[in-house]
Amino acid sequence: MTKDLSTWLDTLLDELQGIEVRRKSSRRIRVDVQPDALPALLELLRGRASYVHLSAISCVDWIEENEFELVYHVWSYEIGSLVSAHTRIARDPGVYISVYDIYTPAAFFERDIHEMFGVFFEGSPDMSKFILTEWDGPPPMRKDFDSEAWVNAHFDFQDYQPDWLKEIEAKGGGVAVRPDEQRFSRRDVDAS
Amino acid sequence: MRPENYEAQRQPPSHEYELNIGPNHPGIEGNYAFKLRLHGDRVLEGKADAGYLHRGFEKLMEGRLWIQNLAITPRICVPDPVPMEVSYCLAVEELCGLEIPERAQWLRVLQLELSRIAAHLFTFGGHAATTGMYSPMFWGIADRDLVLDLFEELTGGRVYHIYNIPGGVRRDAPDGFLDRVRSTLDYLDSRLPDYDNLLFTNQVFVHRAKGVGTMSREQALEWGVTGPNLRATGLEFDVRRDDPYLVYDDLDFDIPTEEAGDAWARTLVRRKELVQSIRIARQVIAALPSIAGPIRCPIPNPLAWNVPAGSVYTRVESSKGELAWYVVSNGGERPYRTHVRGPSQMHAVQVLEKLSVGCRLEDVAQTMFSLDACPPEVDR
Amino acid sequence: MRDIDYKDKGGILNPLKSLSFFGRSSVTVPLEPRAASANYRGFHLNDWEACIGCSTCQKVCDNAAITMVSIPDLPQDPAKGIRNLRPAIDYGRCCWCALCVDLCPTGSISLSREYVHTCLDSELDSYFVLPDSNGIHGTPYPKGWAKSEDADLVALERARMEELPPPERIGNFNEIVAGYDANQAIIEASRCVQCGMCFDACPTHMNAPEYIRAIWKGDLEQAVREIYRTNPFAHTCGRVCTHRCEDACSVGHRGTPIAIRWLKRYAMDAVDHERVKRIAAEGKARFLSGKRVAVVGAGPAGLTAAFDLIKQGYEVTVFEARPKAGGMVRYGIPDYRLPQDRIDRDVDVIASLGVKIRYGTQVGTDITMAELERDYDAVILTIGLWMGRSTRIPGSDHPRVKRAVTLLRDVAEKVKVSVPASAIVIGGGNVAMDVARTIARLQKQTYGQVKVTVTALEDLEHFLADPEEIKEAREEGVEILPARGPQEILFKPRKYEVDKIHGLRTWRVLSIFDAQGRFAPRHDEADEQIHEGEMVVEAIGQAAEVEVLGEELTERLDWNRGRLEIDDQGRTNLSWLWAAGDMVRGPDVVSAVADGHRVALSINGVLSIREDAA
Repeated sequence: MTKDLSTWLDTLLDELQGIEVRRKSSRRIRVDVQPDALPALLELLRGRASYVHLSAISCVDWIEENEFELVYHVWSYEIGSLVSAHTRIARDPGVYISVYDIYTPAAFFERDIHEMFGVFFEGSPDMSKFILTEWDGPPPMRKDFDSEAWVNAHFDFQDYQPDWLKEIEAKGGGVAVRPDEQRFSRRDVDAS
Repeated sequence: MRPENYEAQRQPPSHEYELNIGPNHPGIEGNYAFKLRLHGDRVLEGKADAGYLHRGFEKLMEGRLWIQNLAITPRICVPDPVPMEVSYCLAVEELCGLEIPERAQWLRVLQLELSRIAAHLFTFGGHAATTGMYSPMFWGIADRDLVLDLFEELTGGRVYHIYNIPGGVRRDAPDGFLDRVRSTLDYLDSRLPDYDNLLFTNQVFVHRAKGVGTMSREQALEWGVTGPNLRATGLEFDVRRDDPYLVYDDLDFDIPTEEAGDAWARTLVRRKELVQSIRIARQVIAALPSIAGPIRCPIPNPLAWNVPAGSVYTRVESSKGELAWYVVSNGGERPYRTHVRGPSQMHAVQVLEKLSVGCRLEDVAQTMFSLDACPPEVDR
Repeated sequence: MRDIDYKDKGGILNPLKSLSFFGRSSVTVPLEPRAASANYRGFHLNDWEACIGCSTCQKVCDNAAITMVSIPDLPQDPAKGIRNLRPAIDYGRCCWCALCVDLCPTGSISLSREYVHTCLDSELDSYFVLPDSNGIHGTPYPKGWAKSEDADLVALERARMEELPPPERIGNFNEIVAGYDANQAIIEASRCVQCGMCFDACPTHMNAPEYIRAIWKGDLEQAVREIYRTNPFAHTCGRVCTHRCEDACSVGHRGTPIAIRWLKRYAMDAVDHERVKRIAAEGKARFLSGKRVAVVGAGPAGLTAAFDLIKQGYEVTVFEARPKAGGMVRYGIPDYRLPQDRIDRDVDVIASLGVKIRYGTQVGTDITMAELERDYDAVILTIGLWMGRSTRIPGSDHPRVKRAVTLLRDVAEKVKVSVPASAIVIGGGNVAMDVARTIARLQKQTYGQVKVTVTALEDLEHFLADPEEIKEAREEGVEILPARGPQEILFKPRKYEVDKIHGLRTWRVLSIFDAQGRFAPRHDEADEQIHEGEMVVEAIGQAAEVEVLGEELTERLDWNRGRLEIDDQGRTNLSWLWAAGDMVRGPDVVSAVADGHRVALSINGVLSIREDAA
């Protein structure tokens, strides 16, 4: 049964036009596919090759290429392998088709991606806000949203004046390097 | 939503009413709201409302060095932090092509199973409390603390261990640690009859839990349910066995299942998993002394560590189900994108909404706990 | 291990079994905090004696919880890599991940087993703590998570450098050190924690953290750019620099310092020479100031000053007595340490900017200082230290007793140098090692075997030469005798036309300096040795050949104990004359480069002000 299914999968992937298949390991397959062919691929994977479990939909903002990459991770309980189907859509207008009719869990992921990246999924059951209910700024997971700058603009560092610091300042010492001057997790550590 | 922003909608006269459970409610695991529309005590509609725990971890991780993100990962799921650490490390290791020393792999398995035990004890307690039984909750949390003692000794932290690191683990087990793990496991084992008496064979609890929040196997698969919740519908699937990582291939354990698919079945699956986790942990204790060698492979200076470009999807079995990280590197010293797929993203939102329809008000909290919903996984 | 059979055993009475718990004693927990585990990650401890203020903890802190505070009472020593900074922790931000502990180069930071702190809103300042070894509340708690081999994230070991083994290097002047390949260089560069101690310690303050990071990123042109910002003798310093940066390197406190010198060498060798020239020319002034500057001596100090001044639009002419430029680095450093083609490249980069070098022009004979004073707006004296000092022991004035600089220069100029089968070198510095190892190579080529004896006043602990020089010299068959004071050069009985050296008589040295610190060696005359050798080379120091200045100029200048008197900008008491390099600073390449920059800056300041006034 399992063997038949994996043969099915191979034939299926061979049949489809315009997709690129890479086997990364025995249980991981990467497929790159054009956006218009992706729903059909998922339909086939689910319907004919037993990939019934949509593990996740991941979105990546490739801002320099002006594209969003959508990755659909689907798992077959019977074959025991995970197919990651990658597709890229234009960042503007950032509209794509929902796969809710194929995979019910897509509703959550699509809503999440809509909220965090601003990608609109046509046909998804609910595109209303979920996590960021009271947020009216840009979709925050987009690369052009600088969360650290936003935080710095809205919040202050706690201003401490402990006695030990006053004593050191009286002797001519004091704060020499503030945390944000040297921190490696700041964004532009090498831009100087 | 902040309370001051909530505006009650004027409704025409009816028997229907709205009720908000949470975001601060003893029946909710963490800050999470569940908005109900009821007719009498029957739920007509349930709507999950997340966001109270949103800390923007995925965004935060894009701005930090690969190794600095270790401090963030355990915070994504407080009751069961180890799978988060381990799966993130597995992702970085796969991108870098690092070979993890065997000893580190066994130490990771030990942590993972201890973490599963702690998380299940927590959930039992919570589930019992939602049915009005508080003793199992006190017991569960007290016994979980013993596991946290072990974590404190091994990792230096009780809840946020930050103990795994790409390439292995940060410290070797201290002298005599394995003996103390063994005695704690023996103690937990000896406690099981107490739990059984008070909870699992207690007919009050059994009757409360049976038939609540029932889903069929077809529904579970349709809705993307994983982990103990899926196994409670009779599907024998476990990432540890069917998509193995670390040394789970070398370990001997069973995958407990139940058929009923209700709150009772889900709790029983966890109860049986506790036994399996103790079994795995005992195998690790037996094997570890004979596995010498380093606990970490050489890794670059954290301040100068570029991870090769690529993307990877690593999954592990957490106490709540399938936990996965999608990690993308563009060859830089920070992740380009990290996406965490917490199991609760399914069963704390869509599944909970579906299962709550038609159930009685007093069972809503129980349904949520029996699903082991973990709001921070949804919010991230 | 038990599993339940709930279907059979379930019953309404089961929970009643738990009533037995009433018979058990209740769990009580003492009020005081429970003792934490040995590994606990509690509040910070910092051993101020061990902490060097490198601020690596601050760099790796993911929560921006660490502020570096300068404390005036603490020692500060750039040469040793010690700053008076100490980390202060903001416990409103710290997440106790202990990366600061694991990446601390010295291991001074640790986390204690103390974990309770609370306060009123009005006492929030107590969350900002300057940890020392007493802990947050001044009550000592034992260490929790501390530096361990398991958890150390500092890469202590240096990337391996390929070297010629002694048998392969002794018969020739081939360069010994192979240099890093790209992979080794990236690994070595990745060890750097970017603390900048090297920058502070370097005489010319090279941007080492920046070029190391550029090398790690694979951007070698950027690395070359950073190098040329402060050092036009890049190839030379990449090979023979005294690398004070490495002495100060914070990784060196527990491990091997970053091979900063070899990384510089790698970047310079890896980038195409023509490209280096274009990078070096970046920022060159597009106008000419119309001012002319003369430099006497084309060594590192003179050419560095020329490099700076030509970039600022001056017309610079360098007068060099020898046929090639480079000064002591060309004529004083053997090829196995610094191949001549590398000096050619450094000189070529500087010359390509438009610096005119007039070779074979000896100031004092071919052109006088008076002419330079007349024809140029400013003159820089960088004549180096070319006169070998003598021990002045009996026999040392004999023509067969050589001076180190003369011998090295002859070898560098490929003059036929004949060495006898056995030789003695007097001196214990790096020059003595250079001489001994050069003679060893020549002996190996001529006779097939080595017999060189080095006698030094110092004992081994106080040797002036670098330890690796001593090690390599010994590997090559050089015999090194510490604590021997030379007394007399012995000659063979006079049966030949010319005197033949027979050897050197020495006494054991008891002490070198007297109580006032003056040079006054005391000897144990009973411990006398005769070292056989047909040649004696004195390598005990050099002096400047100031005769080139001419009598009249020497009269006008201020002198201090035989050295030219200059101010801190390198300017003499004459408004048109500056001096720099070994002649005023003592022998060291990178200090000479730093000196070159200093006088160029001073000259630019003076000449541009004059222009404003005019």
